[in-house]
Amino acid sequence: MADAVVRHVVTFGRVLREAGLEVGPGRLGDALTGLDNVDLTRQDDVYWTLRQTLVARHEDIDAFDRAFRAWFLRAPTAPLRRDAAGETVRLVRRGAGDQRPPDDRGGEGDEKALGYSPDELLRDKDFATLSSDEFGLVSKLMVELAASRPRRRSRRLRRDSRGRQLDMRRLVRASLATGGDAVERSARDRIRVPRKLVVICDVSGSMEAYSRALVLFLHALVGSGRGVEAFAFGTRLTRLTADLRGRDPERALAEAAARVVDWSGGTRIGASLKAFNDEWGRRALTRGAVVLIVSDGWEREDASLVGTEMARLARQAYAVVWVNPLKGHPDYQPLAAGMRAALPSIDRFLAGHNLASLEELAQILSGIERRHAA
Amino acid sequence: MTATGPDGLRAVPIYTAFVPLSTIDELESALAGADYLPDRGLATALFLSLKLEKPVLLEGEAGVGKTEAAKALARVLGARLIRLQCYEGLDVAHAVYEWNYSRQLLHIRAAQEGTVSEEELFGPEFLIRRPLLEAVESPEQVVLLIDEIDRADEEFEAFLLEVLSDFQITIPEIGTISAAAHKPAVVLTSNRTRELHDALKRRCLYHWIGHPSLEREIDIVKVRVPGVPERLAAQAAAFVRGLRRLDLAKPPGVAETIDWVRALTALGRQELDAEVVEQTLGSVLKYHEDLLAVRDVALQELVDEARAAR
Repeated sequence: MADAVVRHVVTFGRVLREAGLEVGPGRLGDALTGLDNVDLTRQDDVYWTLRQTLVARHEDIDAFDRAFRAWFLRAPTAPLRRDAAGETVRLVRRGAGDQRPPDDRGGEGDEKALGYSPDELLRDKDFATLSSDEFGLVSKLMVELAASRPRRRSRRLRRDSRGRQLDMRRLVRASLATGGDAVERSARDRIRVPRKLVVICDVSGSMEAYSRALVLFLHALVGSGRGVEAFAFGTRLTRLTADLRGRDPERALAEAAARVVDWSGGTRIGASLKAFNDEWGRRALTRGAVVLIVSDGWEREDASLVGTEMARLARQAYAVVWVNPLKGHPDYQPLAAGMRAALPSIDRFLAGHNLASLEELAQILSGIERRHAA
Repeated sequence: MTATGPDGLRAVPIYTAFVPLSTIDELESALAGADYLPDRGLATALFLSLKLEKPVLLEGEAGVGKTEAAKALARVLGARLIRLQCYEGLDVAHAVYEWNYSRQLLHIRAAQEGTVSEEELFGPEFLIRRPLLEAVESPEQVVLLIDEIDRADEEFEAFLLEVLSDFQITIPEIGTISAAAHKPAVVLTSNRTRELHDALKRRCLYHWIGHPSLEREIDIVKVRVPGVPERLAAQAAAFVRGLRRLDLAKPPGVAETIDWVRALTALGRQELDAEVVEQTLGSVLKYHEDLLAVRDVALQELVDEARAAR
C-alpha cells in the first residue's frame, strides 16, 4: 500500500480520536487491510471500509461522517450516502386507557436496619439545607444504600444442595461407582442476580437543590454493579451511564446539565420520556427493569404527553418508582399537572428529599414486587 | 456396546458451486442472485468480513434484514448456516455442548460393573453438540449467525469473546478443539438493548443497517414476492416509507413491507386503496396505538400520497 495512503489513514485516525472515537492501532490496521481489498477510486467503498473498521457504535457515526467530510472531501458537503431523515410528523395519539389507581402503600414491609446509624438529625435533614461537611458524610452513606438492589432469578444455575434441578454431570460421575444407580444426588438452582435498574433524573433548574445529592446516589448505584442505566433530562434527554462510571459525579452532573438544560427552557418531562421510550424503550432496555424517575413533575408543556408516555413506560417496565423531593414537605399535594398525569402509571411514589427517605427508597428497591403480582 | 460415531447431527449438504467473490461488485451480484439485495454499505461489510476473516456486527432497527443477511451470505458461499439464538440465561450447555446424561447412565447400566472408564463415558460419542461447537468443529465452511447477542448475559459475552478470538473450545474431559481448515464466517446481530463490551466490538467490523431507499425497497419487494404487480409493489413501498416519517412507537421495517405485500397479493390486489389498507394494516403496524393513530389521522393522506407516486 502506498505510503501516502497509510499516512492519510493514520492522521485520519488521530482526527477521529480528537472527535472522541476510540481508534486503536488494531482498528487502523483493519482499515488499511480493508482498503487494500477495495477500489480506492470509489469514494463510497472507501467511506464504508473506513466506517466499518473504525466506528464501533451507532452514536459515533455522525462524528465519523463529519470528520470524513472534513478530511477526505475537504468541504462541508451533505452527508455521504445516508438516507435523508425527513421531517417528523406528529400524530395526535389516543390516550392509552390504562388507568390504574395510584399505589402509595410506600414504606411497608419489614424494616430491615441498614448497616449504619447516622445521626438522626442528619438522616432527616433536607438535602437543600446540608452544609458541605454534612454533604460529604451523606455521600458516603449513599454508597451503602446503593448496594441493596432489587434481584431477580437468573436462568444460570449454581450448585445448591437445596436446589430444584439435578446436577446431572455430577450424578453421572457418581453413578460410575455404583453401576448406574444414582445414590447421591447433587442439585443445582437458579442464582439470583440484580434486576435491571433504569434511573431517569430531572436536572432542570427547579430540581437544582436536590439534583446534586441525587446524582451522588445515582453515581453510587451505577458503581454498585452492572445493569444500572442512568439518564438525565431537562429540556432534552441524555444518557449518563458512561459519565457516571468511575468519574467525578459532580463534574458529570455539571456536564449533563449543560447538555440537556436550556436556561430559559424549563422542563419538558413528556418530551424527554418520549425520547426515552422511542430510543431506549423500543430496544427493550426497560423490559423487566425497575424504572426510577426523579423529578418534581413541573411540566412546561402539555401534561397529557406525560400521561401517555408514562403509560407506555409502565407497560414495559417491571415496576415504576417516582421520587419527588417536594413530597417531603408535610403539606405537599401532587398538584403539578405533569405529576398528576403521571400518577396512574406509578407503582410507588416517594419523597427522596433526605437520607431517611433514600433509605426507604433503597428498601423498596430491594424488595419491590410487580404491581399486578399481589 | 460400541461407540457409534457422532449423533446424526452432522449430515451436511455439500455444495461445490464456486462463485468468484474477489470484489464487492461480485459479492453484491451473488447476493442478488440469492434473492437478497444489500445496499453498498452492507455488501462492503460482508465482503470485508470475508477478506479480513473478522466477525461482522450488524445493528439496526428490527426488521431491516440483519438475520436475512447472514442467511443470504450462507447461500452465496454454499455454506451451512449455524444459528445461535441468544437469550437471557443462555449458557455453555445450550450454546457449546452438553453431555448426553441419559445415554451415559444407560451405558453404565448396560456394561458390567467396573468395565466402564470415565474416559469412555466422557468421550465424543456422548457429547451433544450445540451451535458454537458445531461451527468450530465443522470441516466445511460454515456461516455462524449469533443472533441478538445483546440479549445474552454479559458473562456469556465474555465467553464468546474467547471463542471468537481463536476459534477454540476447551472441553475439560476431552481437550481443546480448534477450527479445522476454515474459520467460520461469523455474523453477529444486535438490537442495541444494551451496549456490548468494547473488547467484543474490537474483534468485529461494525455496520449499522438503516431503512433502504424507496427504489431499493421496491426491488426487494419484487424479489421476495414473485408475481407482485409492479404498481402494488411501488405503492406499498411508498406507503411504508410514509409511515416511517410518522411518529410511531415501532416504525415498520422491510420485513413488514414484505409480509404486507404478500398479504395484498394473496388478496389479488393490483393497487392500494384506503379500504384494503385499513383491513391489512395489522401486518405492518404491530402496536395498537400506532394502528389507531394511523387509522384515525393519516391513513387517507398516506394512501393518496402512495398512489400519486406511481
